[in-house]
Amino acid sequence: MTASAAEHTLALSCPPDDVSAVHEFLAGVWQDEPSVSVEDRMALELAIVELTSNVIEHGTRPDGVTCRLRLEIGADRFSALLSDDGVAATVDTEAAQLPDGLAESGRGLALVRMVVDDLRYERIADENRWTVLRARH
Amino acid sequence: MDIVVHEAQPDTAVLECSGRLNMVSAPAFRETVAQVVGNGRSRVVVELSAVEFMDSSGLGALVGSLKTARQAGGDLRIAAPSEQVQMVLQLSNIDKILRTYPDGDAAVTDW
Repeated sequence: MTASAAEHTLALSCPPDDVSAVHEFLAGVWQDEPSVSVEDRMALELAIVELTSNVIEHGTRPDGVTCRLRLEIGADRFSALLSDDGVAATVDTEAAQLPDGLAESGRGLALVRMVVDDLRYERIADENRWTVLRARH
Repeated sequence: MDIVVHEAQPDTAVLECSGRLNMVSAPAFRETVAQVVGNGRSRVVVELSAVEFMDSSGLGALVGSLKTARQAGGDLRIAAPSEQVQMVLQLSNIDKILRTYPDGDAAVTDW
């Protein structure tokens, strides 16, 4: 028998929404999915909150930004897609490195890369798409 | 997040934090440390046992607050990080920059 992936979705309109909505959404997902390990929860929450924070901080237009999050929980892996209608990002996800120790910003994508198996960014039409994959632990 | 300031010594404060240290709360955290240091307590202990989530915005606020404390002749120490906070401190190598103590009392002694 093949277990199908469970899908959880969230829509955000920032402002007034902020990353608090992502934390609350994930708390609900973990309640629905008690088999997800603490290690996986911590990794996914960090990755998804970092990506959403980046969108809100760097992608917001004068009238705000709208995001959609889709988290798929499969038998062997997790897949999260964050799409938004904000301005195009100018990042190289492959090159994301930790900055100097006393830097006060610039660690977000480097941390995401450390806790997922794959991080991709695509600009498709007027949409940014951030995809992360992580094997279940 | 909630921050309770304990004025432990004439030059030392313990900030008992709870909740999330992320992009929403980081500005208020920085502001609280700046006020504590501005009021003469430049030795700052940040107690993190009840912080269930910290991300790169939180790390930035800790590093910024460390600089604020050092510029005033003091320092900033972390006490009792939760499992999630420890993970982020280690991944980011900030555990090499910020000394971590098992609890607030241990951090307050031996400056």
